[in-house]
Parts: sequence; structure tokens; C-alpha cells
Amino acid sequence: MTDVILEKVGKTYPNGYHAIPSVDLSIEEGEFIVLVGPSGCGKSTLLRMVAGLESISTGELRIRGERMNEKEPADRDIAMVFQNYALYPHMTVYDNMAYGLKNRGMAKDLIAEKVSDVAAMLGLTELLQRKPRQLSGGQRQRVAMGRAMVRDPKVFLFDEPLSNLDAKLRVQMRVEIRQLQRKLGTTTLYVTHDQVEAMTLADRLVVLNKGKAEQIGTPMDLYNKPATPFVAAFIGSPSMNLLDAHLTEQGITVSDELTLPLSHPHRGAIVWGIRPEHLDVSDEHNADFALRIQAVESLGAETLIHGKVETTSGQGDAMVVRLSGPHLPDINSLMWLKAPAQYWHLFDAVTQQRL
Amino acid sequence: MTVTFPQKGLPWLLLLPQLLITAIFFLWPAEQALEQAFYQEDAFGLSREFIGLENFADLFSNPLYYQSILTTLVFSFSVAIVGMSVALLLAVMADRVIRGKLAYQTLLIWPYAVAPALAGVLWWILFDPSMGPIALWLKSAGVDWNHYLDGSQAMILVVIASTWKQISYNFLFFLAGLQAVPRSLIEAAAIDGASPFKRFWTIVFPLLSPTTFFLLVVNLVYAFFETFGVIDATTKGGPGQSTTTLVYKVFDDGFVGLDLGGSAAQSVVLMGIVGLMTVIQFRFIERKVQYS
Amino acid sequence: MIENRPWLTFVSHATLLTGIALVALPVWMALVASTHPASAFGVGHIPLWFGDAGAETWGAVLFDKAGNGVDVPVWFMMLNSLIMALGITFGKIAISLLSAYAIVFFRFPFRNLCFWIIFMTLMLPVEVRIVPTYEVVANLDLLNSYTGLTLPLIASATATFLFRQCFLSIPGELVEAARMDGAGPWRFFFDILLPLSRTNIAALFVILFIYGWNQYLWPLLITTDDAYYTLVMSIKRMLSVTDGDIAWNQIMATTLLAMLPPVAVVIGMQKLFVKGLVDSEK
Ligand SMILES: Nc1ncnc2c1ncn2[C@@H]1O[C@H](COP(=O)(O)OP(=O)(O)O)[C@@H](O)[C@H]1O
Ligand SMILES: [Mg+2]
Repeated sequence: MTDVILEKVGKTYPNGYHAIPSVDLSIEEGEFIVLVGPSGCGKSTLLRMVAGLESISTGELRIRGERMNEKEPADRDIAMVFQNYALYPHMTVYDNMAYGLKNRGMAKDLIAEKVSDVAAMLGLTELLQRKPRQLSGGQRQRVAMGRAMVRDPKVFLFDEPLSNLDAKLRVQMRVEIRQLQRKLGTTTLYVTHDQVEAMTLADRLVVLNKGKAEQIGTPMDLYNKPATPFVAAFIGSPSMNLLDAHLTEQGITVSDELTLPLSHPHRGAIVWGIRPEHLDVSDEHNADFALRIQAVESLGAETLIHGKVETTSGQGDAMVVRLSGPHLPDINSLMWLKAPAQYWHLFDAVTQQRL
Repeated sequence: MTVTFPQKGLPWLLLLPQLLITAIFFLWPAEQALEQAFYQEDAFGLSREFIGLENFADLFSNPLYYQSILTTLVFSFSVAIVGMSVALLLAVMADRVIRGKLAYQTLLIWPYAVAPALAGVLWWILFDPSMGPIALWLKSAGVDWNHYLDGSQAMILVVIASTWKQISYNFLFFLAGLQAVPRSLIEAAAIDGASPFKRFWTIVFPLLSPTTFFLLVVNLVYAFFETFGVIDATTKGGPGQSTTTLVYKVFDDGFVGLDLGGSAAQSVVLMGIVGLMTVIQFRFIERKVQYS
Repeated sequence: MIENRPWLTFVSHATLLTGIALVALPVWMALVASTHPASAFGVGHIPLWFGDAGAETWGAVLFDKAGNGVDVPVWFMMLNSLIMALGITFGKIAISLLSAYAIVFFRFPFRNLCFWIIFMTLMLPVEVRIVPTYEVVANLDLLNSYTGLTLPLIASATATFLFRQCFLSIPGELVEAARMDGAGPWRFFFDILLPLSRTNIAALFVILFIYGWNQYLWPLLITTDDAYYTLVMSIKRMLSVTDGDIAWNQIMATTLLAMLPPVAVVIGMQKLFVKGLVDSEK
């Protein structure tokens, strides 16, 4: 069953700034959708329109078939977890979680029951009488989630909920959020600028660029078949090597002189892409091209090698290679590489569409 | 950008009390002052006649008004400078001491709570020529103190009484300013071999300049508008006009001299000055608010 | 301290103690004077050490009548002062909270104009436009009334600004969270905003109480009936007795009693007082 539908939803701010031209998205019940994109691309704007904290300029938002555009946030049956948690500093953990239920006129003992259930689920039982300032970052994060969960809403909204935590806690909370969501089965819309977080959490991802949804799909769809160079660069770490190239009868010309054979009907300027992990070390005779090594990052389990495609002009494009295990090649030496054709990604340079 | 509530009528309801009181007790009187300034009223308020700018012309051709401006300036700057110097000295000393800082602060700030009129009464009696201990002591030291007759002495008296009350305020802000000076800067200067006095004048005092400027403005405003009680309780503007500040003159001409038109014209002039200061302060406050 | 210079430390303490002594001098003198009978002042000087008429004088002004033509006792005027001070304080806080709330959390036409109108009152002290204000209050028949004593003084831009600043510093996310929790404007005001502004309100309370208690010119003008005399202004009435007959001991005792409540507030709530001063720095 389709739970949330955004139909040609657009946003123009009162100052005239056109933050979101038009986004279409339908979310299935129980699905975990992640909105991902660089800072300022309009993720929060979109989420806040769903929440009712920003008005919807154009288009329609429906939750379970009901039009929501004109409804107050409190009447949409949604709950939101904020980046800075937004816990009421003068209330105890218990009161923070109970406040929304009290405002809805729920009976006291029912509230107590719900809060203690959720607190138990999140391991907050011991902390119910504390004030937010007496909690650690991770605990505050949990309280913020608890406050959303007690309401038992149709939709959870998260706006970068983990960005104030340290790296280790972030990973831990990420796992926890995913587990909780599976258990509760609540439809979720989650905003982040961190593509790793996005990939690991999402059933489906929406990649936003300047207010436009560049691509919507499962993490593997986006990894294997990015629709645009933007998505290709954004998904995956380190990011895909994207080189300006030309498609001719002979094949693809990169760095002006190197040609990789390919027969393809398209002609003209393209973007040629290959992920760092898909480049293989080879030898002088079997290689497609050579890389002049400029820097080596050894991470133990893997090694990232930065270099330039070797050309006669010395003006070759920069590329990154990812090898598993430790490697210690000399700086300035040449590295022969093979780029298997099944891993190539071709995009039209003008329309930016995948070929 | 703050989040707002969508209600349209409610904000007016919320603002109503403040707007009503402002309209009745601020705007209406201000409008009346403006009106009166252009009319001549007889002493019984029975008839009045439009005289245009005549009240203002009278005002600005009256040497007493210029004298009052001068008195106000002398008085205000004396209060500001004396008060700030003494307070700075005390604040520097209090910042130096390690023990008893809070006790010193407590014992220095309480005069803030004393009403200006009461401050005036207390100092007036200390300086009373026939029985005041200070006046008698001055007499024995050869100074013939009589602020009932000597205008400059009257001025000194009101300056002392006004300053006394304001030292606590200046002291608190200077102390806060001093405590905000980074320790590392002073330590660096000490390592460079600067003596305590040199350190103060070359490092600390320049860093205090925002506080100093702020206090200068506050003190001038205080001396302008809030010292009515001091003057009224001690000298009543005399002897002659020697301690009649602009604000005191508005009252004196209006209620004692019953020159309503002249008093209103003075009110209008003062409101103009106030309006100007308001605009300046508004800019200042807006800038402060921006980054919050 | 960076270096150890005992003489400098000594100078510091000496300066501070001198300062404290000078600041306290007038109050000391008043205290001493109030312990002597009225006749002690006729002889050309004020006594410099305590006399033995203290209990009498203080008892008389507090419970009998303040003297020098003021026929009500000090405790009665204290009550009036308290009513005026609290009226002004609560009134100012209430209307400023409401208007700051309107200005920060709502969008409506002429919002900036309202802001400006309120701002004008910041710099229009009553002393500046004393004559027409008096006339307005007289026209409204508010002379000799508690309403007349308090109402004209409770519009305050300073308090409105302070609360505006305080509200602006409340994170937007908190407001949004409250809205998602179903809190309407009133609920938000009482459940979230007021508790979060508690210390600001308390600090302002201290400053405004002092302001209200110390009002002088306004009560002096609009009260002619002893029933509404406030303590601070009664001094002026006491001093207007013809010179020779002034009972200085009574005046001194009344003066001390008039400064006692606000001074006690400053010393007792020093922390809030300092915060209030710093916050309301215009
Ligand atoms: N209230 C507003 N008025 C005008 N422009 C805004 C407002 N809020 C956000 N924007 C602009 O809209 C764009 C998208 O903002 P936002 O949705 O917050 O981005 P993200 O969450 O993806 O970082 C940004 O360029 C931002 O400057
Ligand atoms: Mg955002």
C-alpha cells in the first residue's frame, strides 16, 4: 500500500528563492526512504514540507490518501527527530516524551504506560527523571527518538539526526535506528548528507541536487547504474573517476590522446566513469593505460593511489585507484591499469543522462 | 529566521495592552506637547491662541535656555567622567585582589538601589553649611562652603550626589570588562617586562574601550534624564539657574512657572533629541541582535 | 596574580576600603543622626556618634507618623510604595512578555511599525513630557489613585527588548518540536516559553522593582492625598516644612527606611541583580 505521495511538490521561499522546482515520490508503507545530497540542496526543505513546518508552494502531499497541504504539523500524524534533538530543557525525559500525548488529551495512566514501554525499548528507563542537560549526546538522541516513537505516528521524519554525534556513536546509532524501524514497521523519511549513512539505512534513496531528484532507487541501483554523473560521483567512496571524453567510431578518447575501443552509436562529448575499486593492476602489454603515481594513502585493509593518466603532454586527467591490502608503489613511478568495460559508465556530456 | 505561528488575530490581542498604554500615556501626551508648543494658553487654561513657532522663537532667544543647555552639558560630563574614573579605579583594584572580591562588590554596588532623591537628601545634609559635617570641616580648612549662594558649589554638590549613585553601575561593568580581558595577553606583556601600570595603560585600558564607550553613553543618558530627583531634593535648580538642567527646566517652567507653552516647546525639543538618540540606539541594538 | 608585589596588593585593599567607606559615609551619618532627638540639630552641627533616641525616633516614624507635616506612618507609605513597585513590576513584565511574544513568534501587517512605536517609549522618560502626561492622567481622573501611580509607568521598551532578545535565542527546532507535539500558541507560551525565560524574568524583576520603588517625580505630582503617598516622595513633602522646624532625625530615619527594601533586594539577590543590569543594558 502506498503510504505517502508527493506529487509535483515544489517550494518557493517568501524571499523568492526557488528551493525545490518539483519532486515526485511515492513511499510504500513501512519503507525507509533516505533523502541524500550535498548541503543546501533542499533536503530539509522537502522534509519540512512533509512535516508541515514549511508551506507547500505547488503540488500536493498525501498521507494514506488524504491531502495534507493545509494541515497543521500536529494533525498530520507524523513525528520528527531534529538535528539538535530539540528536547525541552526544563522538562524531564519523561515529560519530554509525554508532552505530545498530554497535548492530545490522552489519559495519564495510558501515557505512563506508553512512555515506559518506549523507554524500555530504548534503554531509557533509568533516565526518565533526568533533565536533558544531565544526558550524554547519545542518550539525548535516544530521548528524541523516544519522543517520536511514543506518538506511534504514521510517518517518522529524521533531519540529520546523527550529525552531532562522534563517529563511533554515529555508527552504533545508525544500526539501532535501522533495527527499531524494522521492528516498528513505521514508514520513514530520513535526511542526511552522508552517503555512507544513506546507503546503509535506505530501502530506497532519493538523491537531491539543487532541489531536483536526480535519481530514486535502491542503494545497489544507484551504485550500479547511476543516472547522472552527479549521482555517480555522490554515491560510493572514494567517489567514481569521471573523465571528460569523446565517443568516436574508434571508441572513447580520454585525456585527448588515449583511446579505449568501444562500439557505441552515440557520438560527441561524453563523461566516462569508472569506480576506483574497478580498476585492476596489469602489465605494460595488457594494460589499457598507465597512471603516474602522485600520492598513496595506506589504510591497511586497502590502499588508495592518486595519480594522473600518463600522456605525452603530461596533462592527463587525475584518477584514483583502490586496491585491497597494503601496497607501497613509489611516487612518480608508473602504474599499469586495466579498466574492464563492463564497469564503465557513460553519460552524455550535454544532457548529463546515462547512455 | 524564527519559526512562527500562523494565527493572524492573536498577535494584535497580545500587543493590545502595550499599544494601548503607549498610545494613552506616551503618544497622546507627546501629541499634546506638540500642540501646546504652538499655542499660548492663559494661566487658568480657559482660552488659548495659536501662535505658531513663537514659543520656539522665545525659547531660542532666551539666554536662560542656553545657560541651561550649558549647565546640562557641564553636569552630565562631570557625572560621567568623575563616576567612571572612580569606578574604574575601584574595579581595577577589585580585579587585582584575590580574597574578598565578592564582599567588595557587595559593599560597593548597593547605592544603585537608592532613589536619586534620597541620594540627594543625604549629600545635601552632609554639605549643609550650618550643620553638615563636610561643610563644617571644609570651613575649618578655609573653604567657605555655601551651596545655597554659590552656583559652582551647588553644581559640585549635585554632581557628587548623582555620581555616588552611579558608581556601582560603572563599577560592575568595568569589573566585567576587566575580567573579560584574556589572561594570556597580560601574561605575555609581563614576560615582555611591562610593569603593572604600563600593562594597564597599554593593554588593558585599550581593550576596555567598548565598555568605556558604552558606559559614557549610559552615564550621559542617566545624567540627562534620571537625575531629576537629585536636583529637586537638593538645589531645586538654584541658586539662580545654576543647576537647572534641561529636564528640570521642563518641569520648573511647566509646574512652577506655569508657562505651559514654553514648557511644551522644551518637551518637543527634548523629544527630538531623544528621537535622534533612539534611531542611533536602534541601529546599535539591531546589530547586536543580528548574530543571535 | 602574575607577580607577587605585596605593596600593590596592600594598595588595592586600601583603595577598596577607602572607596567603601566613602560610599557608606552618607548612610552612616543618617544612621547616627536618626539616633538623636530633634533638638540636637539646632546647635550648629550634626552629631557624629550614636545617641540614645534611636528607638524613639524609629518607632515614631514607623508606626505613629513620619513627621514634618506628613501625617501617615512610614509603614503605611511603605505599603503604598510596595503596591506601586509591584504593580509597575508585574505590569511591565506581563505586557512586555506578551508583546515580545507577538513580535517574535507571529507575522502580521505593521509588525515593524508596532516595534517602532514601542521603541519610542524606550527613550521618552516621563520627565521629558511631564506636563502633558500629567494633564492626560488628570483628564482620565486618575490623580490620587493606584492606577494613576502605576499604569502610566508600565509601558517599557527595555523589558520588551530584553524578552525579544531572550525569545530570539530560543532555537527554532524547539518551537517546531512543540508544534509537532500539538502545542498551540498559548500552550507554547505557558509550557515552553515562560519556563525557559524564568531567570530572565527574575533578573528583570529585581531591576524593575528598584525602578518602581524609587519613583519620585510621578507620585509627587499626582498624589496630594496622604492616603497615596509613597515613601520616597514623602521626603520631599517633609522637607518643604519651613526651615527651622525640620526634624532631621525623623527625616533621616524615613530616608533610611525608604532605601532599605531596594538595597536589601540588591544585596540579597546580587546574582540576579547583576544579570538584570547586564541584560537590560539598553
Ligand atoms: N527560510 C528560507 N528562506 C529562503 N531560503 C531558504 C530558507 N531556508 C532555506 N533556504 C535555502 O534553500 C536551500 C535549501 O535549504 P535546505 O533545505 O535547508 O538545504 P539542506 O537541508 O539540503 O542543506 C538553501 O539554499 C537555503 O539557503
Ligand atoms: Mg538541512
